[in-house]
Amino acid sequence: MSTLRPDIHARQEVATHIRNFCIIAHIDHGKTTLSDRLLETTKTIELRDMEEQMLDAMDLERERGITIKAHPVTLNYRAKDGQTYQLNLIDTPGHVDFSYEVSRSLAACEGAILIIDAAQGIEAQTLANYHLALEHNLTIIPVLNKIDLPSADPERVMGEIEELLIIDRDDVILASAKNGIGIQDILEAIVARIPPPRGNREHLRALVFDAQFDAYRGVVSYVRIVDGELSPGTKYMSMAHERSYECTEVGVFSPQMRQIPKLEPGNVGYVIANIKSLGDIDVGDTITGTNHPAHVPLPGYRKVVPMVYCGLYPNEGVEYSDLRDALEKLKLNDSSLVYEPETSVALGFGFRCGFLGLLHMEIVQERLERNYDLDLIATSPSVVFRVTKSDGTVELIDNPSKLPASNYIQSIEEPYVKATIMTPPEYVGAIMEITQSRRGALSNMEYLHDGRVIMTYEMPLIEVIVEFFDILKSRTKGYASLDYELIGYREGELVKLEILLNAEPVDALSSIVAREKAAARGRALTEKLKELIPRQMFDVPIQAAIGGKIVARETVSAMRKNVLAKCYGGDITRKRKLLEKQKVGKERMKRVGRVDLPQEAFMAVLKLEE
Amino acid sequence: MSAIYVHLPFCPYICPYCDFAKWPHRGSLAHDYFAALVDEIRREPAFAARTLYLGGGTPNTYGCARIADLKALLDAHFGPFSESSIELNPELVAAGDMDAYARAGFDRVSIGVQSFEPREIGTLGRRHTQSEVTRAVSAARQAGVRSVSIDLMFGVPGQTVQSWGRTLKSAVTLAPDHISAYGLTVEEGTPFWQWREKEPGVFPGDGLEADLYELAIDELGAAGYEHYEISNFARPGHRCAHNENYWANGEYRGFGVGAASYRNGVRWVQSRELGSYLQALRDGVQVPAQCEHLQSAAAAGEAVMLALRTADGVAFEAFAQRYGIDFLEFYRPVIRDMQRDGLLAVDGERARLTQRGRLLANDVCGAFVTFA
Repeated sequence: MSTLRPDIHARQEVATHIRNFCIIAHIDHGKTTLSDRLLETTKTIELRDMEEQMLDAMDLERERGITIKAHPVTLNYRAKDGQTYQLNLIDTPGHVDFSYEVSRSLAACEGAILIIDAAQGIEAQTLANYHLALEHNLTIIPVLNKIDLPSADPERVMGEIEELLIIDRDDVILASAKNGIGIQDILEAIVARIPPPRGNREHLRALVFDAQFDAYRGVVSYVRIVDGELSPGTKYMSMAHERSYECTEVGVFSPQMRQIPKLEPGNVGYVIANIKSLGDIDVGDTITGTNHPAHVPLPGYRKVVPMVYCGLYPNEGVEYSDLRDALEKLKLNDSSLVYEPETSVALGFGFRCGFLGLLHMEIVQERLERNYDLDLIATSPSVVFRVTKSDGTVELIDNPSKLPASNYIQSIEEPYVKATIMTPPEYVGAIMEITQSRRGALSNMEYLHDGRVIMTYEMPLIEVIVEFFDILKSRTKGYASLDYELIGYREGELVKLEILLNAEPVDALSSIVAREKAAARGRALTEKLKELIPRQMFDVPIQAAIGGKIVARETVSAMRKNVLAKCYGGDITRKRKLLEKQKVGKERMKRVGRVDLPQEAFMAVLKLEE
Repeated sequence: MSAIYVHLPFCPYICPYCDFAKWPHRGSLAHDYFAALVDEIRREPAFAARTLYLGGGTPNTYGCARIADLKALLDAHFGPFSESSIELNPELVAAGDMDAYARAGFDRVSIGVQSFEPREIGTLGRRHTQSEVTRAVSAARQAGVRSVSIDLMFGVPGQTVQSWGRTLKSAVTLAPDHISAYGLTVEEGTPFWQWREKEPGVFPGDGLEADLYELAIDELGAAGYEHYEISNFARPGHRCAHNENYWANGEYRGFGVGAASYRNGVRWVQSRELGSYLQALRDGVQVPAQCEHLQSAAAAGEAVMLALRTADGVAFEAFAQRYGIDFLEFYRPVIRDMQRDGLLAVDGERARLTQRGRLLANDVCGAFVTFA
């Protein structure tokens, strides 16, 4: 299925000198390096500006070595045939959380460069991205990268490519992005192999594959023009929101935004109109002319729904309104973040926030703490449960403490994923163990020629988001790779596990768990909390309860003596500072009822297996 | 300025738990230090102080003749004192020494005993015998020293409720006028700290410490000692006036290496480096010091921290006069929590720690301190 099937009734044109492509790869296989090298070789960026370009990128992306936001860029390449081509590189986010964004970026292209690390070979994300690209009917240019590494084993990896991707080895380009090997071949292949875009000039249809918010200009939509033209003055509308705007500026990325008179079929560029909020235009949206609208939008649009939720609360000394303002500002540039006010008995006023996945959640939290200097308490993440109540009504529950009492529940369904794990054979046992303990069901197991194994599981999303990835990595010494996709809701035997401190339930510590695991989890959680909760002036009983029945109990025994023996002239300053320090420690804790809880306690459920 | 402190940092040997500014005795160094100290005192403009305290280190590492000279200088400069104390290590007290100290004008001696259990004395790295302690106390009595105090220590590795009980009994039998009972504090940088890092199980937990502390409070109370400060017990009329001045947030001037002073709201602590102390006096310049000046609420909070250590607690009227703060009003939420938890007792005039509050004094005092 081609997402960019042109309107067959209109006269087709071929933009012979345009190629739209993206680069897809498993993490660390060299996507960013290859992008940089392409920019450099085509002189889109001068060598001396490279460093600056790197610094301009968001520091979080650099640190985590992943691309969060997609950046398009237009390269002008003079090919061996003497002609100059406009190559539009559409970067794709590199994490499973952003798979919808990836799919929209792919939809804006006709071809993809698939990078495979010559040492590590094909990994789970390589496969996932490859299949996604095939679904979008893209022409694939396979590139075997890092061939000059001492640990490279091109012969073995070629075998994998033939076996797993069914790609002829003659089509594979050998390269080292780091050392500039094979770059010319890649550029030539882009021109020669990727088909030029086709479209008509009549009914405007443009795919919004990303959007950014600019404080001065409002929303800047990144678009791929499929049909028609877009220029300042064009009245256009978003087909998802059915709102009209007048275009004020169009341009391309070279790599900075550069204004041009108009965008034509096949072009990749940006559009600015007077759009004030990212919420008014969605990634995947189709832009069409208000006066002669297209009949059908481009396929593939869907409303992005958060997969993971958690509560974010201001810690002592942080104002609720500061958190609200910071979330508002983040939302300007991240329409997939959702939040609404919620109140917790334990934590007071805060927000229930929805994220695309765990990484997205971590990024948002880190931005809030770093860029807005907020000290936050995050509750442990949850998924959205679908609860059918006894009266037949269905409720979506994104906060475990909101789960109705069990006698009002007929059934609970939870989201499931298909998880693909690639691993060397020696870790198969370990993986079976950790997936089984997470209610994973093995649906397929495939042995590759090089001995590696692809294991496919169906398992509940909640089991994947709670520390699964870290444990998988540590138990397989980093060798296993993971990719997962949502496959729908399934009914499960689920119960609410409550935690009581001092006999009072703490809403922010409750979780929804599988009945069969609930008691063990309750025990693990109370033990963990006992470690985390400092001794107080009185005994603090910690209990875990399922449906009102206590299943585990620990006690943090009271601190009996805490006094400085000596306090004379020379000690006074030092002793006061000691007390001040203790006080700071206490104030960083959250008082729940009469118990001081450290922030980590609220994330305890995430760290049970450390 | 009501109090003078003089620090004499040399010891015949170093105890493995001690965190004070101290050095093993070396004749020439002790000689230089004494000269520097005399210099520092002479440089200070004379004024009248009420109390004097010679602490260490081990002050009587210097012979009693030197001490008498020093005392005469201090008397001339800041005297007459209504209370003059000196800390003494019992095994260094020779025949006739006590008479010399008394003649020099010391009317209060504080004898470092720590324990009457040979094993615990050994653990603490101290070298006196029980008979040396007895001899020192009776010598002080015979010399006519007005107040005799002994220091005890609980929470020592290996100590039990029984062994601590025996030590308390022995102490009471000696009938000193004043007893300080300190919970062992393991300070960073001491050999005890390293020991605890390696073998934390050897050290008593806070449960046993609490039992030991409570035993001291009960036993000493029953023997007629007033528990007038967290670690201090006295017969009527024998509270240490010099130390009471610290807890009343009164002014004091400390001489010597690492000594602290407090005047006009400024507290400064002189360098703990012996070399830089000596050098400064040789060069005739100010001894390097760390200095802080607490303002309003921070100063008041610190005063509360100090006052709550005492049986007299915080007196509302005096507090309001001195800090311009209505104690009950200003700390209302804290006081309410502390009262509810049975840590603080409040009547019309004063707020005091309860017995439970004394055991958890850090939690109480900590709630009043404000960041400087």
